[in-house]
Formats: sequence, structure tokens, C-alpha cells
Amino acid sequence: MTDRRIDTAVQEDPIVAAFMDRLRTAPLDVLPRMPGADVLWLKARLIRQWDAQRKVRRPLDVMEPLELAAGVMAAGLLLAWSLPSAFDWIPRLIF
Amino acid sequence: MTVLTEHAFGEFYQRHSRAVWTYVYRVTNDAADADDIVQEAFLRLFQAEIEASDDEGLRRYVFRIAGNLVVDRWRRRVRDARETPAPVESDSVARDLDVVRIFSELKPRERALLWLAYVEGDTHAGIAESLRLARGSVKVLLSRARARLRDLLTARGVIERLEK
Repeated sequence: MTDRRIDTAVQEDPIVAAFMDRLRTAPLDVLPRMPGADVLWLKARLIRQWDAQRKVRRPLDVMEPLELAAGVMAAGLLLAWSLPSAFDWIPRLIF
Repeated sequence: MTVLTEHAFGEFYQRHSRAVWTYVYRVTNDAADADDIVQEAFLRLFQAEIEASDDEGLRRYVFRIAGNLVVDRWRRRVRDARETPAPVESDSVARDLDVVRIFSELKPRERALLWLAYVEGDTHAGIAESLRLARGSVKVLLSRARARLRDLLTARGVIERLEK
């Protein structure tokens, strides 16, 4: 924090600089409640794994609704094609 | 490119997480927000293609992500028409100058600009990147933030005490 190169053009007001220095050293009234590095590491690995799985699954997820639509369309065509001959047996029953 | 190992990440996290958290907390005035933002910023390190041995590069990256996440929260808050958090009560040690309270009276963006400039010693270009601002406007905004802080310090009569 303090060992970094200070950009004098950025910090041109000594009063503000003095104030910010006091603020920097002022103790915090609350403490961070963050997980440890090991927990974050695990979380990051899981996220990466899920992302990879999602990437692999993406073509399947895209194709699924298309397959369903194609199936419904095929069923509709089959029905339309077979409907005229569906009731052919009725006249045969009468005569 | 060297990949960040668990050990290297652990050390990096130990070294810098507190500084990032303090920055976010001082800007947002909300410890829970700071916890979330810092965690998210460090998690995004894994998606970044940065040389793992470049400690300064990693540090800048985390600060930039944290800054961007803070900006996203302000925008969401503005959109939700929620008020900015109320000025916080200052802690006992800093009470003599009331630095925390005075700082919290600034707008969040002013706080972020001043923190990055004075505490992190960032350049105009770095600040612009962190807060998603045009490089040219950082100078103007920083100057306004300084002027506003000076006004607050004058109004509270603490300028003389800071000059000592």
C-alpha cells in the first residue's frame, strides 16, 4: 500500500493527503467476514467445473427444444397424412 | 503463462484481501457489501488470464474488479431509487478528527476516487480503469472530490488540525 509509486499529479492537495492518511490508519469499526483462501479456492474450482460442464452441455440444451419441435411437427404431418384413410373402415362395416 | 496455484493464491489473498476490503468498505459504508464484493473480485481472478507471478498485475486486477462491482451496486441502487447508505458513526480512535464520518458524507464515487488516489496511490489511468470512467474526466472528478472534501473539512473546522 505505502510502498507503491505515488503519483504526485494525483495527490496534489496536502490537506486532503493528510486527511486521507488519517483515514487510512483509522481502525475499522467492523471486521471483514470473508471466507478463508482455501474455501475461496474450492469455490472457484467448483465454479470453473460448472462452467466447463455448462459449456459441454450447451449443444444438448440448444438441440433439445429443436428435437421436440421436430417430433411434434413429424407427428402432425403423420396425422394429416393418415387422417383421410383413418375412417375408411366405416363404410365397409355398413355394406 | 504461469497458472495461479492454490498456495500462490492463498498468499496473495492473505497479502491483499484486507486492503481491498477496506477500500470497498470505506466506499460503500456497508460491511456485508464489502464481504460480497471482495469475495466476487477474488473469485474472478480465476477467470482472468493474468500472469500469476505478476503480483502487482493481480492486485490491480482485483482492485479494478472490486471497483467495477462497486459501480454496479451504485447504479443498481440509483435504479432502485434507494438512498445511499447513511453516514456511519465514527469509531472511537478516529473520533478526534471524525475522519470516518466526514469521509462518509462524500458521494460514493468521490470516496472511491479519493481512496484510489491517496491510499492506493493509483494513477489517473488506473483510477479510470477501476471506476469505468474516461481518463480525461478522472482529473476533473478528482479535483471536484478534493474541493468537496476541503469544504467539508472547512465546515467542520478541522483544516488547522490537519495542517499541524
